Amino acid sequence: MYDYLIIGAGISGTLIARELSRFEARIIVVDKENDVGNHATLANSAIVHSGHDPVPGTLKAKLAVQGNRLYHVLQKELDIPLRKTGAFLLVQHQEEIPGLERLHRRALANGVETPALLDAQTAKAREPMIQEGTLAALDLPSTMVTYPWEVAIAAMENAMKNGASLRLNYEVKAITKMEDGFLLESTEGSRLRSKVVINAAGTFADRIAAMVERDVPYRITPRRGEYYVLDKAVDGFVKRVLYPLPGKNGKGVLVVPQVHGNILLGPTSDYQDDKENVANHAADIEKIRRDADKLAKDIPYDKTIRTFAGVRASSTYEDFYIEPSKEVPGFYHVAGIDSPGLTAAPAIAKYVADTLLDIGKHYPRKSDFDPFRTKTRAFRSLSDEEQRLKIAENPRYARIVCKCERVTAAEVVEAIKGPLGNDTLKGLKKRIRAGSGLCQGGYCESEVLSLISEVTGKRPDEIDYYRKNTPILKQETKVGR
Amino acid sequence: MTWDIVVIGAGAGGLSAALAAQDDHVKVLVLEREAVLGGILNQCIHNGFGLHEFEEDLTGPEYAERFIDAFHERGIDLRLETTVMGLHETRNGFVVEAFDRRAGKLDIQTRAVILSSGCYERTRGQIRIPGERPAGVMPAGSAQRYLNIEGYLVGKEVFILGSGDIGLIMARRMTLEGATVKGIAEIMPYSNGLTRNIAQCLEDFDIPLYLSHTVTDIRGADRLEGITIEAVDEDFRVIEGTKKDFAVDCLLLSVGLIPDTMVLESLDVKMHPHTRGPKVDHTFHTSVEGLFACGNALHVHDLVDDVSEESRRAGRCAKDYVRKSLGKGETQLELIAGEGIAYTVPSTIDLSRFDDLIRCAFRVKRKAQTATFKLIQDDTVIASRKARFVAPAEMEHIDIGPDDLKGGHAPVTLIMEV
Repeated sequence: MYDYLIIGAGISGTLIARELSRFEARIIVVDKENDVGNHATLANSAIVHSGHDPVPGTLKAKLAVQGNRLYHVLQKELDIPLRKTGAFLLVQHQEEIPGLERLHRRALANGVETPALLDAQTAKAREPMIQEGTLAALDLPSTMVTYPWEVAIAAMENAMKNGASLRLNYEVKAITKMEDGFLLESTEGSRLRSKVVINAAGTFADRIAAMVERDVPYRITPRRGEYYVLDKAVDGFVKRVLYPLPGKNGKGVLVVPQVHGNILLGPTSDYQDDKENVANHAADIEKIRRDADKLAKDIPYDKTIRTFAGVRASSTYEDFYIEPSKEVPGFYHVAGIDSPGLTAAPAIAKYVADTLLDIGKHYPRKSDFDPFRTKTRAFRSLSDEEQRLKIAENPRYARIVCKCERVTAAEVVEAIKGPLGNDTLKGLKKRIRAGSGLCQGGYCESEVLSLISEVTGKRPDEIDYYRKNTPILKQETKVGR
Repeated sequence: MTWDIVVIGAGAGGLSAALAAQDDHVKVLVLEREAVLGGILNQCIHNGFGLHEFEEDLTGPEYAERFIDAFHERGIDLRLETTVMGLHETRNGFVVEAFDRRAGKLDIQTRAVILSSGCYERTRGQIRIPGERPAGVMPAGSAQRYLNIEGYLVGKEVFILGSGDIGLIMARRMTLEGATVKGIAEIMPYSNGLTRNIAQCLEDFDIPLYLSHTVTDIRGADRLEGITIEAVDEDFRVIEGTKKDFAVDCLLLSVGLIPDTMVLESLDVKMHPHTRGPKVDHTFHTSVEGLFACGNALHVHDLVDDVSEESRRAGRCAKDYVRKSLGKGETQLELIAGEGIAYTVPSTIDLSRFDDLIRCAFRVKRKAQTATFKLIQDDTVIASRKARFVAPAEMEHIDIGPDDLKGGHAPVTLIMEV
């Protein structure tokens, strides 16, 4: 019997688990995927917004501004990447000026740090590549970018260090209310019991809620966003996140520098019925270009290395829906976490623990809670001397597997074996960036495969690309060496 | 220890360059990322190599072997499983930052560098194919490696996008291995592969080639389930009502190769916007003093024989550079790709070292039954050559000699007349 069971190992679920693990309670996170941070957490703009956008007084406004500040704490405690880019919100037409001023007032009302209106000349001096027709800018210096799935991995690792459990490949099929809590059953028939259930299931939150409640107070309306990724060779093209004036469908297409030097262009915003389909569409790919060109000039599209799409867990309820069930005590909703969900996530976790669950009333604080997670520094980021020491310690650091992102054989092996290890091609790409570069795995994929095979003992044709039963090799032939 | 020349990459280009550069007075070190010499030739187990170089029809490994044997016979210094991660200019040459699997991190001093690091394959992301992103979509060269080196087939029901040579070769190869290749789509109205490969790899196996078609959808959440192709007009816009669906578990991409110049990142090398390799003069000297380039790292070739021939010249030029201390000439005559010409290699001619015929490589922009190539300086035709059946997929050459230059230092423009 667990005290708290969290459904969904995305950014919300993993940070909630970490927050709860400060207390003497039995905690478990379940997810239907074979890795943490696999849906909205995997495919988004990676921005820690300033909190300028949500309507003042909403949970979104409050938690986004708090979340932005908490990322500095997470950086220290969890050793997550954070790049303090700042942002400009740009307008090109006179009729957009009132909208810009309204956002400035909203940012001030939300408590955003030092938002400021800038004339075109000042903006241009600070960010030379902004488009020629720019009329004015809203400066949002507290804007940052992070590496979202690493935040989820770090949060889960730290929660596990403090006693929480994780069950991957656990797809909830049924939830039964018992006298002393809930009984969960997975599609594979595995049962778990918990006193409290927290529904952080992203786009599946309404489906999970319907297993418990008769009238679910919201419906998830999945909203797809498509993106371009430009190679890290473009690092420095713009220093800041560039926003247009937000429209009916969210923040619009942005230009977003990333922590590793890449630039993201996107997202689009289209409602779809499917909760998981992350296909790219030709029309959206064109729209991104059209819209991004309004913000910046001479965008180096020839450095495009990938397109992708993600699905936001938008809901029919306008704000985040973070509430106890009105029908069933012990069941809690953390739903409708769309933008600024990534930004708000650390604050959502605290809000859930302290306000929603009031956990301190039920369980004592752990005396030995360890808030720190130390990550092995990427080999590429070490000094010459440090690199030589590492190689002396383990010669496998001298084997460069991924040339584009400078990833060594030692790092591949560590990521497979790590506390939240993964033995799929994409799982490793998420953790150490092997295959994230210019050649998208053309050089390193076969070597990564053979390292996975060596560490796990699996045959190369048993190794998955990512999800279950997705091997990239179909059949052994007689040609092999 | 300071080397005279470090060669980066021991594929067809690097081997040939090293053989030409090394002698009793010139110390050459070759660095190779893989555990064996020969580069991409090792996975090209089909024939068709060596028709020019040896007047024989060899497989890729056989062709490589000739050079590897000569290489070992000459005892040229070599580090295998060594990856170059950076090049840094010093007062009299370069420091090559390399990681050797056995020896660790190395800073190798050298006077000159020959970049022969080959090329990498364009990926799905670079051409932005719409659709889902399941397992089962991969560059044709990767599939070739898995099949011919590792011994695994990457799909049983296959479609191929792009009619580049690797795609054509893999269509035949996978068919012979028991897979069904359902077709090849090519966005251009003509194939980008060699004519002989169209005949031997597609026509002989009844594999349909859909010209002026491209892949417009990829389906499958986890594993590839199917693709859609559609016809395009001359501006590459999709023509409504031409959709064809194929149920496949594998989509191979043969959509182009790009010179791998990643190690040049830290240097200020002038790059060629069309080839995406460095710009070189006729001695294969890049804009950085002491840095030479050849093979597919310079521009992508159709025939390995051309790589060997060109790299041999690059090797000799690098050797002259270190032996005779021949710096980069002050006067570089510009060679311009004019009407009908996509690019030329070299981009310039170093007049201080222009004492013999040079062989200029180029590609045309479009297909033609007959064509005349003309070198023009100051509105005067200084050299010309007639050709038949020219196509962008087949590299062309034209010779130019010092005596041809009538207009002094004025730029020379190469054009194609149809």
